[in-house]
Amino acid sequence: MKFLCLACDEQMKLEESAPPVDGAGLTATFRCPRCGQGVAMLTNTWETEVVGSLGVKLANGRESRCPMGAMMSGAGAGAAEGAVDAPRGASAGLAWTAGALERLERIPEMVRPMARDGIERFARDRGHGVVDEAVLEAARARLVS
Amino acid sequence: MKTYRDIAGDGGSGIVAQVVAARQSMTRALAGVRHLVAVGSGKGGVGKSTVTLGLARALLAEGRRVAVLDCDLNGPTQAQMAGVSGKPWVPGEEGLELPRGADGLGVISMGSVLAHDAALRFDAISQGDEQVWRGSREMTVLGQLLAGVHWGELDALLLDLPPGAERTVQMAQLFGPRAAFVLVTVPSAVARDVVARSLDALAGDGGGASARVVGYVENMVGYWCRECGAVRPLFPAAEPLPLPLLGSIPFDPDLAADCDRGAVPSLTTPAGTALRAAARRLEDILESSP
Repeated sequence: MKFLCLACDEQMKLEESAPPVDGAGLTATFRCPRCGQGVAMLTNTWETEVVGSLGVKLANGRESRCPMGAMMSGAGAGAAEGAVDAPRGASAGLAWTAGALERLERIPEMVRPMARDGIERFARDRGHGVVDEAVLEAARARLVS
Repeated sequence: MKTYRDIAGDGGSGIVAQVVAARQSMTRALAGVRHLVAVGSGKGGVGKSTVTLGLARALLAEGRRVAVLDCDLNGPTQAQMAGVSGKPWVPGEEGLELPRGADGLGVISMGSVLAHDAALRFDAISQGDEQVWRGSREMTVLGQLLAGVHWGELDALLLDLPPGAERTVQMAQLFGPRAAFVLVTVPSAVARDVVARSLDALAGDGGGASARVVGYVENMVGYWCRECGAVRPLFPAAEPLPLPLLGSIPFDPDLAADCDRGAVPSLTTPAGTALRAAARRLEDILESSP
């Protein structure tokens, strides 16, 4: 979607955007770089979801609507050994060292919550209070055993 | 007045650039994969997942480097069948590490991270309107899985597709021209016709590029009785599809039980032997393709 200033025949540039809040859609303002005329684009929820379903960051990259980043129940709930079925987020709360976090951030954003849940469950089951690179290596070793 | 095509760029939203970057990262992640093989059908219940896993294991037995991606996000089966359902997804140096089954087969399946009785749900601001966005979101998940796993060097990555002719075509467009398609059917006229429709859809009329369909596997061609060693018919014979027949696989209750338990089945049974023959034919076709 592009916005054209009719007076100047000039493409308007994204000025500011705000993520969807409380069920409302995305808000984005565009301004003509020549005359300064502005418009606001207000999306409805369908339009917001359709764009968000592409896995892109909206609102100047501040807000992610990536699919699995937004996955709710079921993700990471109970598939790992010894785990009980629990709402997603129940396993949240373990601290991650900078090195471990860096590795987590190397995988696509949408996969992170699922990987994070699984690793935290793995760590908790073995009595670890912090996820560090040694925990990740131990989890990795289990993948091939 | 300028038209859409007169204006370069998207005014700063960066959405197009992000979509392009996502596709490029998928290409990079698959750079070490020699053959991308999508196993689909269009018809549900014909044994796509069992055939996918069987072909993968047959190739593995030939010394090939193989992995499986379960593309059925809503009905994942590969994690359980391959014995990786209790293994977490681990971030490695170059992406998600591949969980491996007892035989060393790498498998990525939503079944590893979903509870066995949990549905895949997405957070959304338009609850109740999933028909608007869900399909697109699932395709994005799949694209990000393809891009986010450290596949490494593989001879073949097998993609286990969900049922539905329309999903098969959408996935063909996601995977691009690199993917070779294998269709699975059972010898019933009903199944054969659904698979024929998928084949027609993959042929690409309607604006999409044609997908490369290299052959088909006829599954459940009979019931193999371990007691007497005979293969007895399950269905009347159906008209063949206009494709190379890679193999005809008899139904083996022991193979089904192994899949349910996540055990590695024997490849010396009639079903296993047929899968190995099918895998060899598939490999021959792939190797001789341009």
